[in-house]
Amino acid sequence: MSEDTMIGAVMVIGGGISGMQAALDIADSGFFVYLVEKTGAIGGAMPQYNKVFPTNDCSMCIIAPKLVECGRHANISIMTLSEVIDISGRAGDFHVRVSEQPRYVDINKCIACGQCSAQCPKSVDDSFNSYIAKRKAIFIKYPQAVPLKYQIDPAACLRLKDPDSCGICADICPPGAIDFDHQPQKHEIQVGAVVMALGFQTFDPGKAKVWGYGVYPNVITSLQFERYLAPNGPTDGVLARPSDGKPVKKIAFLQCIGSRDKNHCNNEYCSAVCCMYAIKEAVMVKEANPELDVSIFYIDMRTPGKEFDRYYERARSEYGVKFIRSRIHGVEPKGGKGDLRLHYSSVQGKQVEEIVDLVVLSVGLETPDSMVKLAEKIGIHMTPDRFASISAFMPVHTSKKGIFTCGAFNGPRDIPQSVIGGSAAAASAVALLTSVRNTRTRPIAPPAERDVRLQSPKIGVFICHCGTNIAGVIDVSEVAAFAATLPQVVHVERNLFTCAQDTQDLMIQQIKNLGLNRIVVAACTPRTHEPLFRKTLKSAGINEYLFEMANIRNQNAWVHSQDPEAATRKAKDLIRMAVVKVTSLTALKPLRIPITPSALIIGGGVTGMTAALNLAKQGYQIHLLEKTSQLGGNALHLFQTWNGEHVPRYLMGLQEEVNNTPNIEISYNTTVTAVTGHVGDFTTTIRSGTSRKRTIQHGVAIITTGAKRYIPEEYEYGKIPKVVASIEFDKLHMHNETRVANGKSFVFIQCVGSRNQERPYCSKSCCTHSIQSAIKLKKEVPSRQIYILYREIRTYGQRERIYSQARELGIIFINYELHGPPKISREDTGVLVEVWDHVLHRPLEIKADMVILASATLASPEAVELANLFKLPLNADGFFQEAHAKLRPVEFNVDGVFVAGLAHYPKPLEESISQALAAAAKAGRLLARKEIALEPNTALVDPVLCDGCGLCIDTCPYRAISLVEYLDEAGTPLKTVAIDQVLCKGCGICQGTCPKRGVTIAGFTYDQIEAQIDAALMDALPTEVTP
Amino acid sequence: MSPEPKIIAFCCNWCSYAAADLAGILRLQYPGSIRIIRVMCSGMVHPEMVLHALDKGADGVMIIGCHPGECHYLTGNEMALARAEVIADTLEDLGYASERFQLTWVSSAEPERLVEAFRTMSGRLMLLRSEQQTSYAKKN
Amino acid sequence: MKPKLSFEWLHACSGCEIALLNYGEPLLALLNRVEIVHFPLLMDHKYTRPEREDLPLSLPEADIGLVSGGVAHQEHLTVLHEMRRQCRTLIALGTCATHGGIPAMRNQWSTADTLQTVLAAGDTEPGPMLDEPSLFLDRVYSVDEKVPVEVSLPGCPPQPELIAAIIEALLNKDTVPPANKSVCETCPTLRKGKGQTTIRRFLDNADYDRDQPVSRMRCLLEQGLLCMGPVTAGGCGGKDTPLCLRARVPCRGCYGPVRPGGNQLLDMKNALASNGIDHRSIVDRKSLLRFSGAHGLIQPAGKRR
Repeated sequence: MSEDTMIGAVMVIGGGISGMQAALDIADSGFFVYLVEKTGAIGGAMPQYNKVFPTNDCSMCIIAPKLVECGRHANISIMTLSEVIDISGRAGDFHVRVSEQPRYVDINKCIACGQCSAQCPKSVDDSFNSYIAKRKAIFIKYPQAVPLKYQIDPAACLRLKDPDSCGICADICPPGAIDFDHQPQKHEIQVGAVVMALGFQTFDPGKAKVWGYGVYPNVITSLQFERYLAPNGPTDGVLARPSDGKPVKKIAFLQCIGSRDKNHCNNEYCSAVCCMYAIKEAVMVKEANPELDVSIFYIDMRTPGKEFDRYYERARSEYGVKFIRSRIHGVEPKGGKGDLRLHYSSVQGKQVEEIVDLVVLSVGLETPDSMVKLAEKIGIHMTPDRFASISAFMPVHTSKKGIFTCGAFNGPRDIPQSVIGGSAAAASAVALLTSVRNTRTRPIAPPAERDVRLQSPKIGVFICHCGTNIAGVIDVSEVAAFAATLPQVVHVERNLFTCAQDTQDLMIQQIKNLGLNRIVVAACTPRTHEPLFRKTLKSAGINEYLFEMANIRNQNAWVHSQDPEAATRKAKDLIRMAVVKVTSLTALKPLRIPITPSALIIGGGVTGMTAALNLAKQGYQIHLLEKTSQLGGNALHLFQTWNGEHVPRYLMGLQEEVNNTPNIEISYNTTVTAVTGHVGDFTTTIRSGTSRKRTIQHGVAIITTGAKRYIPEEYEYGKIPKVVASIEFDKLHMHNETRVANGKSFVFIQCVGSRNQERPYCSKSCCTHSIQSAIKLKKEVPSRQIYILYREIRTYGQRERIYSQARELGIIFINYELHGPPKISREDTGVLVEVWDHVLHRPLEIKADMVILASATLASPEAVELANLFKLPLNADGFFQEAHAKLRPVEFNVDGVFVAGLAHYPKPLEESISQALAAAAKAGRLLARKEIALEPNTALVDPVLCDGCGLCIDTCPYRAISLVEYLDEAGTPLKTVAIDQVLCKGCGICQGTCPKRGVTIAGFTYDQIEAQIDAALMDALPTEVTP
Repeated sequence: MSPEPKIIAFCCNWCSYAAADLAGILRLQYPGSIRIIRVMCSGMVHPEMVLHALDKGADGVMIIGCHPGECHYLTGNEMALARAEVIADTLEDLGYASERFQLTWVSSAEPERLVEAFRTMSGRLMLLRSEQQTSYAKKN
Repeated sequence: MKPKLSFEWLHACSGCEIALLNYGEPLLALLNRVEIVHFPLLMDHKYTRPEREDLPLSLPEADIGLVSGGVAHQEHLTVLHEMRRQCRTLIALGTCATHGGIPAMRNQWSTADTLQTVLAAGDTEPGPMLDEPSLFLDRVYSVDEKVPVEVSLPGCPPQPELIAAIIEALLNKDTVPPANKSVCETCPTLRKGKGQTTIRRFLDNADYDRDQPVSRMRCLLEQGLLCMGPVTAGGCGGKDTPLCLRARVPCRGCYGPVRPGGNQLLDMKNALASNGIDHRSIVDRKSLLRFSGAHGLIQPAGKRR
């Protein structure tokens, strides 16, 4: 279709974390987004979780800023209670029909006061709390919901069933927002692209009777367990037996409920997340109750992700969680008091009986029927496991051009994979619609800023209850009364959740109505929420830096929960400290610098090429560096993806496309030697081969330097020619070399160099790789004997199918443990492999014609140098450490630099490609802004105090300070220092050095710090020792 | 006399301040008389700020930065370390017990270590106070 | 009627008074504009009035009062209070008056120890003991620690032009010239960046070429000499090269700290430590407060609160 008829808007279906990420990345890249959510509020599954692995972050707390960002984005229109019925048209110009269910509450009137819900007489089971608590017929999904508007459940509401009954809510609603006459609506929306982030549902274990779910009250699902543990859950985080409320002493987690199971359901695949979430839940409960006995019953512990194996190991060794390799097939009651009996055979083959008082079913993920139907209607191909059918080479593209897909709808996956998928889908949609960028967006122009320099401070203090997190410990009303007595404070307000969208709107109103010119929020921590509140100030037309937070939750209510009086005293001090600081803050203007519209991509493997192509399609200039003389990287050694797609053919096409894209400039045999500058304006020096160095200007950088393979030192590798590494074997296999062609017995050994003391991580793709090779060998000559010696088979997600297939073909899997690895020796013309068989309980001798070692993936040794140049962190294994394992998986704390592919962590091709697209989305989102605002909290020289002694100059780690001579009015030469505002990072080392207070960091001046000290000590007693 | 020593703790935004947040998430408990002042880097704190706090009635002052080699700004914690001796000398010169100041390293992932440092400092100041009370009583 | 001027000295050496007299020819014009009512260095004057024997002492009224020297003895205090009572504008003149000066170095001992050492040291002929040693104050104070002052002008001694400028400004009812920044501001030495990491003894000479001007000499601090310039108020050389630097020796710090309430020792050592210089290589660290030991900055060792 001709490009000028494309529509510069995108529809994202599904408001979970993946959909939200896609929506934000697309909207910030210059497109209008319709975010369609079938429930009453966005957020998806994350708000239900207590904490997330492996960082143990509070789930709600890390997702809240994203919720609000979506809620207030000028170019995201959230459509709740809405479902897509049909999509017609084609890429660039789709026609989407959306049906919206009535909310019965006018979203423009509702102030979320909650009186309706308090008075509503009808209670029903609450799906958000996984049915372990009740909610009213009129309700909000969860307290921080976006939009924070009540909704009526028509299935529960008495009035909607019978027009003559109830109606209390309508009578008492202060703004009169209730409207029982709401009708379903149909919307027809034109968009250029669609992103399907349809999400998942958890398996319902009640369908099969064997686990006793729904029969025995002490059998619960992992999601219910999550709600029991959540401090904002129905039990305030207290765990008790559902049957009698008695304390729990012994818990059993049963893995693979509704996963890897053809008997009780049709979910053959592995759900990929349950092992980690079960460990997390076990750790959380052990942390709170160390005396608890917690066991996890599993088939394979599948913890292949970054830092997952370490988490698993800590759970075992530090927290004392027991791991028992056994699948439990049934749960029976024991006695009449709620105890449960589990029966299993141990690794030693003994029959064991365990009595526990709580069974947690680690339920798997599946695609809801309604989503499958929608996909069918739109014409999207699905896999036999009922997930969107995608190519590993195009991991966010559906079978229909212009319709992209991400999140668990693409197959079971965890939060980072979903976030990466959301960004990747965004990158793909943006690349498709680049020619119509900024045609449908509303300009995001904040209102003009009020000049408050000549106004005396009028401070508004907003005190957050954080539900009961703060108000449950601190006497908030006393604190509020105290705050009102502080100088310059003209308004004090308490909020249930200050970060909630409606409170933000209210804050804007108060700033405008009362003429507030400085704001203090007493709530959680500025590290997560300061950006949110600053945006609110901006929207209200005052400078965003006239803001200070008092950390009365994380650093007060939570750490002094056992001493509420001290906590209340401290809250007052913290607010007083914030008030004195905000009083002396001044408006700051970020320095705006233009962005160089180009990207430097370091590493010309598939990841680098994918990112390069996407950004090139987005219209940017790309410098692609490759350290060898050939593009392709590690993929040059790959033959097929896990689902059998041919890699060399794909790679050739990719190379050709990269070579033929005019705005990609490739430099071979090239390394980076120096990096200066910062986001938007980097200058990188490179050296190609033996030629001279040259410099490249670029706005962003993506690190895709890949990884290298481990050269085994064990298993007689290099000594016995019939012992080969898997990549070598692939080549021999492809050429049907005689060792392979004549081979009758093959032994694969897994985890060679991975998951040991030196490298306690999983290389993630080797299990799949070995099984694929084994299947091919077996299919070629069915009489071949093939053994796979493994520690845990980690064919996560839909890869499980090839594991099943391998077993059906008669490939023999033998488990070994780290302390008893197989032994290899030469025998006649072959190799003798000795291994302890755990099933037969005796040593096993295998005469092999070939032994194939699944060797580890190692961090690239060049990462260290590159990390130094760009000031990036590496993890203990030498891989680049992203900014946040969950929500910022391709970013660094250094702005403008991104990572993707094996440089981040070992992963299969499809995940590298997905991550490459995600990095391109982030880079593109930045470049689309055209200019960048630098953090204005930098060093300022006080001309009255600085005299150019220059003692600060050499202390600056960024060389941002220089000595300047000037002439005074009498012509006398004088000295002072000057700060390069672009180089300055605001560390304040100069401030700590200066003997005369001549240089300070904006927002942390000597006076401000001293004022905070004074405020903190106002009630302190004099220090003189008195008897 | 207040039962718990009042402590001003300058916490680096990138490590100890984050650890203090994490301590909250983990519900670790520490004395309620500690007041954290967030700074961007331990290298930002001028020794005069430490003196100012003591002059204004703080029982103790802590500067808590990133572990050596882990400074977000490359060398800020080295500066803090270099200045710590200067601060201790100056306190003694001015008649303050140098135990009233403490420089500590805590990473963003070490809430337990932070809380331990808080408790240790609080205990040390309690001890100092009781020693001084004893010596005062002896003199009179 | 000419404005009256009164110039009293306390724990002082008369250097400040001589500095004013050293103003040269313009002094005559200045003297013509005032009536000197009290100036013990220049003229004999009784501290008591016969008709008011009930008062311990009395001084004449004045528009401008200058006080040099710190406050070390009860007598200083009595005189100072009387000066304050009689003078509309009081100027603390010289570093002793503003920061305690050299005499305040005795603040590192108790008064009793000082008297014992000075007057009754065991290895010398014991001197006469004072009748009333209790009239000594517990330490040496600066003038502003005891009475409010309108203007502080440090210096040991202050540059004559600076003294004159303040008096002129007061006479003309102009604003008093602002305090100077540090010695470094007008120091022309060459800056090359971080130099030695240890401090050399004061006895060492700087490296320089005697045929070249000071502006060709490398910064003395960078040469490893403990130049107090960065933490010392400037003005000794007017807008020209500071005096000690003209002599190619490091600044001794005689104008006291740059900032009111500043601590030369702390500021200097902190700046050195921040630059990776071994501050422990300074011999006798308290000597960095040799000019500014008042305000409690120098205290007897051993007190630990």
